[in-house]
Amino acid sequence: MTTGLTHSATATAALLATLSPFVAFLVILIVTRSRQQLSATVSLGAVGLSFVCAVLLLAGYWGMEGAVRLTVPWLSAGAYAIPFGFLLDPLSLLMLVIVTTISLLVQVYSLGYMAGDSGFSRYYAFMSLFVFSMTNLTLAPTLLQLYVFWELVGLSSYLLIGFWYEKFSATQAGKKAFVMTRAGDVAFFLGMLVPLLHLGNVGIVDMNSLHPATSISPGMLTLSAVLIFGGIVGKSAQFPLMTWLPDAMEGPTPVSALLHSATMVAAGVYLFARLFPYFSLSPTAMTLFLFIGTLSMLLASTMAMVDRDIKKVWAYSTISQLGFMIMALASGGPGGYFSGVYHLTTHAGFKALLFLCSGVFIHHFQTNDMFELSEKQCRHLKVPTVAIVLAAAALSGLPPLSGYFSKEAILKQLTVLPNPIWLTAALLGVFLTAYYSFRVVFVLCFPRKPEADSEEQTVKGDTAHGGHGEASYGLMVWPLVILAGITLLLGFGEHALKVLLVGHQDARGSLEGWAVDWLPVAALGLAISGAGVAWVEFGHKKAKQVGFVEEEPRLAALFRERWYLDHLYRILVERGIDKGISTLFYRNDNLVIDGSIDGMGKGTVEGGRFVARLHLGMIQHRLVVTLAVLAFLSLYFFF
Amino acid sequence: MIVPFSHVLVLAGMLFVLGIVCTVARRNLIMIVLGVEIMLNAASIAFVGAASRWHNLEGQAFVLFVLAIAATEVSVGLAIIVYAFRRTGSFDPSAYNRLK
Repeated sequence: MTTGLTHSATATAALLATLSPFVAFLVILIVTRSRQQLSATVSLGAVGLSFVCAVLLLAGYWGMEGAVRLTVPWLSAGAYAIPFGFLLDPLSLLMLVIVTTISLLVQVYSLGYMAGDSGFSRYYAFMSLFVFSMTNLTLAPTLLQLYVFWELVGLSSYLLIGFWYEKFSATQAGKKAFVMTRAGDVAFFLGMLVPLLHLGNVGIVDMNSLHPATSISPGMLTLSAVLIFGGIVGKSAQFPLMTWLPDAMEGPTPVSALLHSATMVAAGVYLFARLFPYFSLSPTAMTLFLFIGTLSMLLASTMAMVDRDIKKVWAYSTISQLGFMIMALASGGPGGYFSGVYHLTTHAGFKALLFLCSGVFIHHFQTNDMFELSEKQCRHLKVPTVAIVLAAAALSGLPPLSGYFSKEAILKQLTVLPNPIWLTAALLGVFLTAYYSFRVVFVLCFPRKPEADSEEQTVKGDTAHGGHGEASYGLMVWPLVILAGITLLLGFGEHALKVLLVGHQDARGSLEGWAVDWLPVAALGLAISGAGVAWVEFGHKKAKQVGFVEEEPRLAALFRERWYLDHLYRILVERGIDKGISTLFYRNDNLVIDGSIDGMGKGTVEGGRFVARLHLGMIQHRLVVTLAVLAFLSLYFFF
Repeated sequence: MIVPFSHVLVLAGMLFVLGIVCTVARRNLIMIVLGVEIMLNAASIAFVGAASRWHNLEGQAFVLFVLAIAATEVSVGLAIIVYAFRRTGSFDPSAYNRLK
C-alpha cells in the first residue's frame, strides 16, 4: 500500500498541503490585512507549500497499488459513522497537483494583475480560502466531507466573482453563480442520502466498491446517480444550469482563470471521475449524462461563436470542454475514465493559459472586447500573443499540443459507443471549437484599423488597477511561459498518466471501436477546416470579420442570447417562484403570522382598555361587580 | 299570621332587586342613595316578617337599628351629594372622575 512514504510523513504532507492555505487565510484576515505585500507573501508561501507537498505526495505514491485512507472519526450516530481525513489515490493526487500548480501560478500572476487594487489583501485572503477548500475537496475520503468543501468552494467563488463589489453587475454575477450552483447542490445532497441509507456511510471507496447486486435497487441507484449529477451540472455549468459561468467573468481575470477554467468548474468533473465506478452501475444514468454533456458542449460552442467579449468566449469554451469531459466519462469503461480525466488535466493547463493571456491584454488595454483589443494593437505584446495562439491551438486540438492528445483520446473512446450520433456530435464540436478559438486569435492578430493613436488611449484608460510597469508585466508573463511549456509538453505524458490512472492492464488494451482507422484524420481535418473557416472570415486581408453565423441575424441573436435560457429562467422564476410560492408565503406572512402577532398585541390593548374602564372611579361599576360576586358566592354557598 | 311568610320574603326580595337596579342603573346620585334606602327597607321587611314568624322580638329590634343607620346614611350621603354638586355642577357619578 505505502510505497515510498511512511504513514506519518504522508499525513504531515497531506495536512500541510490542505491546511496551510487556511492558516494563510486567517493570518491575512486577522493580522496582515493592512499590509498588502505581507499578505501576498503569506498567501504565496502557503500555496507554495501546498504545491511542494502535493508534488511530493504524487511522486511518493506514483505507481501505488491501492488507495490510502488516513482518517479520524468525525461523526457517528447509531449505525452511521463518518470519518474525516484524506483519501490518497492517483486521481486525487493528480487533481491536487493540478489545483496547487494552477493556484500557485495564478497567485504569482495576480501580484502583477491586482497590484494597486485597494482590496489586495482581501483578494489574497479569498484566494487562500479557495485553495483550502479546493485541496480538501480533492482529498476528501467521504462524500459528506467533499460536500462540505464543495460548498466552501461555492462560497469562495462567490466572494471572488463579486470581488469588485462596487460594480453592480459583479455582485449580481456572484449571486447568480451562488444561487445556480446551489440549485444543483440541493440535488447532490439528496442524492447522497441514498447511499447513506443503504450503506450506512458515504465513503467514496465504499461507494465505488459497491457490488452491482447489493442492497440498492437499480431504480434507487439511478435516482441517486442522477441527483448527484445535479450537483455536477451546477458546478460544471452544464445544461441546464450553464448561464452563470459567462456572467461570472465579472470577477478579476486571474479569478476567472483559477475558478472558471481549471479548478472550480473542474470540481464537478472531478466528482464524476471520483464516483466513476458508482455511476457506472447505472447505465440509464450514464446515457442521460452523455446526453447532457453533448448538449452542453454543442450549445456552449454556438454561444462562443458570436460573443465579442474575449473572456466570455473562453467561458463558453470552458463549458463546451467540460461537456467533452462529461461525454468521455459517461461513455464508461477505463478508457472513458482515463480520457475524461486526461482532458481535465490538459484543459486545466491551456485554459488557465488562455485566461491569463487575455488578462494581460485586458489589464493593459482596459477592455474586454476583442475587436477593441485588436484595434489597440494588442499583438505588440509578444509573449501573451504567442501564448494565446498556442493555447487556442491546444484548445482546438492541433498537434503536437496537449489538447490534441486528450481530444483524440476522447474521440477514440466515443467510437466504443454503438450509436454514431455521439461521435458525430463530438466531431461537430471539434469543428466549432477550432472555429471559435481561431476566430479570437485572428481577430486579435489582424487588426482592421491602422494603428493610430492607440498608445494614448492605453495610458488614458488605466485608472482602475493603478499603475502597472515593467515589473508587473514581468510577473504576469512568467506564469504564461510556464503554462505554455506545460501545454506543449503535457501531451507526451499520455501513457504515463494512463498507467497512473487505470493501471498497466487497462492502459495496454487497445480500443475496439468502429471508426478507429479514419478517426484521427477526420478529427484533425475538421479542426484544421474550422481554423480555415475562421481564417477566411477573420484572418484574410480582405475578410469582413463577420462570421457566417452573424449573417443570419436570427441565428446570431439566438446564440447571443444564449438560446434564451436566461429568459426561460426569468419566466420560470417569475411565474413559478414569484407568483406561486412567494405569494403563498407572502399571504402566510401577512395573514397568519402577522395576524396572530397583531392579534396578541391588539388583544392586550383591548384588554387593557376594558380593565381600565373599571378604574374610572365609577361607583356603579364597582357595585355591579360587588353584587355579582356576592350573587355568585351565595350561589356557591347556598346551593 | 294572615300573610304567609313566603309572600313577605318574595316582597322583600322584589324590593331588594328594585333597589339594586335603581342603584346600579340610574345616573343620578340622589336616586342611587334612594336605591340604597330601598334595599335597606327590603331587608327591614324581611326582618319584621321573620320576627312575627318565629315570635321573636330581636328582628324588630334590628329594624330599629336599620332605620337609625338609614337616617344617618341619608344625612351624610345628601351632604356629600350637595358638596359634590357644588364642585362639579352635576349629579352624574361619571362626572366624578378626577382620580382617574
